[in-house]
Amino acid sequence: MPSSPDARIAVDRVLCTGHGVCAQTLPGAVTLDEWGYPIIRSETVPADAASLAVKLCPARALYLR
Amino acid sequence: MTDLLTMLDEAGLTGRGGAAFSTATKVRAAREHRAELIVNVCDGEVGAAKDGWIVEHHLHELIEGAGLVAGDGTRRAVRYAAHRGSRTASLLAAAGLGVLEVPHRYVSSEETAVISAAHGGLARPMTKRAPFVFGGRDSQGRRIAPTVVLNAETVWRVSQVARFGPRWFRSFGTTDEPGPRLVAVGGHVPRPGVYEAAAGVALSDLLSLAGGLPPDARHVGVGGLGGVVLTASAALSTIWDTPGMKRHGGALGPGIVTVWDPYACPIDVAGELIAYGAGESAGQCGPCMFGLPALSQAWGELGRRPGVPAQERLQQRLSLLERRGACHHPDGVARFAASALGTLAAEFAAHADHRCQKERRPHAQFA
Amino acid sequence: MSGQAFWFLSRATGVVSVVLLTVVVCLGMVTAGRRRPHGESATVVMGVHRWLSLGMLVFLAVHIVTAIVDGYVPIGWLAVVLPFSSPYQTLLVGLGTVAVDLLVVLMVTSYLRHRIPERRWRIIHWTSYAMWLAALAHGFAMGTSDQPGLRLTTIACGTVGGLFVAWRLVASHADRERRQEINAQEWT
Repeated sequence: MPSSPDARIAVDRVLCTGHGVCAQTLPGAVTLDEWGYPIIRSETVPADAASLAVKLCPARALYLR
Repeated sequence: MTDLLTMLDEAGLTGRGGAAFSTATKVRAAREHRAELIVNVCDGEVGAAKDGWIVEHHLHELIEGAGLVAGDGTRRAVRYAAHRGSRTASLLAAAGLGVLEVPHRYVSSEETAVISAAHGGLARPMTKRAPFVFGGRDSQGRRIAPTVVLNAETVWRVSQVARFGPRWFRSFGTTDEPGPRLVAVGGHVPRPGVYEAAAGVALSDLLSLAGGLPPDARHVGVGGLGGVVLTASAALSTIWDTPGMKRHGGALGPGIVTVWDPYACPIDVAGELIAYGAGESAGQCGPCMFGLPALSQAWGELGRRPGVPAQERLQQRLSLLERRGACHHPDGVARFAASALGTLAAEFAAHADHRCQKERRPHAQFA
Repeated sequence: MSGQAFWFLSRATGVVSVVLLTVVVCLGMVTAGRRRPHGESATVVMGVHRWLSLGMLVFLAVHIVTAIVDGYVPIGWLAVVLPFSSPYQTLLVGLGTVAVDLLVVLMVTSYLRHRIPERRWRIIHWTSYAMWLAALAHGFAMGTSDQPGLRLTTIACGTVGGLFVAWRLVASHADRERRQEINAQEWT
């Protein structure tokens, strides 16, 4: 079985309301600014982690490119 | 009709609204998706005037260009986006054209904001997961039919390319940035107005068209609120093309050169522009709706109490605005503030000692 | 298994379902109404909201199956999906059916959330309040009087949920306030 390929994440900034969940589900790749909005440090993340993070985003703002 | 696309390709015409994307590619996609055409006549950037100038002086060629772009396969008649209540809007309406009125707000003339308004939504930018020329949805899931927005000057140039040919077009400008370009020269110059120019001219020659750079001038803005600011001496040695402007962190943008009032404190002039930009956030993206007011505040603090801590705070604010909005409004304001911060270094030092010129004059150009 | 065992199992899983459902609904309200600067608790809340809603289905399924298979009262399989079709306690069983139907809609739309316009998903998700109320009423009215514990549990769920709803109505956060503030400006 191939190891998890990479995926590219992006944030729909209009939908994002700053829950901050992506910084937990994608530690390292996403950090938060002082208001709780994500700062994408790395767009490329392992695909399985990415899809879980996308599912858990309460605002559905995180998506795969 | 494919003739037109070949001619546009050969001419190398790019969008004159500031993004400088290939017009041939855009028109080709528009044709393929039978996209509705909206001509952006908003003059949305601070200091812009060329869109209205075209309507006033070359309306027939504008309409002709729009017809050429639209071809005969569009979903609906061409519409012209203009600020509500503007002279441009009434001129367009008087000519019997379909006018899409948008509120007089900075971000409302942004491409996706115009598209949103055209579909009955608010005139606020949308997240662009893919170009809307293909059609798509806004963030809430509202369906957006294929739509293409072209700047008024771009459409006018299309009619010129069709009439005079790509060779004529390429006789202006540089190899990389061919074609004539309109520039609005304003502010502290003898004859503010819209002038015909081209990439590759010296900024000093551009200013000469408007009567030349006055000897007392100290700062020159290029590109409005999304642009940069140069010292007068730097401006005089700058070539107005992408490589020349890049050296100052700028671009050709939508063709705006503004000489700042030398009797107003430039830190305040820049601060007012930044504050205006902060107030024009559409309130949709967190980093913009909180980040821009914070930037504006940090600018004010640096002006009042210049020093390393205030400067670092401002730098921190600037670093959190890039590519973090649905549109590039926060990027543009950050670019302008970063440029002003560098250019006004000497003024900040003077500001600290209360030596700067404090008498305030109205800066009508930036109202 | 004797009828007695089915009866107990059905009651027990029913009350557990109401409790879990209340927890899921409350966690949903917390997600919608609160922001934390670092998001740790938001992640836990969101994860539990999602997976508990799935876990609850096991108890709900046992509750429904045992209630029908028990056969002590006539309900019928049709009443699982078609509201108000049970010969026994038509109205009260029907409320349970309404809750189940809404729950299915909520589950399916959330599973397909990325393919549904966000606005539509949101409107549909608001029906979870109706679903929860229907389930509560069903549980309260059918919790038999000789088992006060069941009824009290339902009342407790209603009280806790009610408090969360009250909190949700007044709760606000910076993101929402700033959006509303700018939304009120001229944009058309």
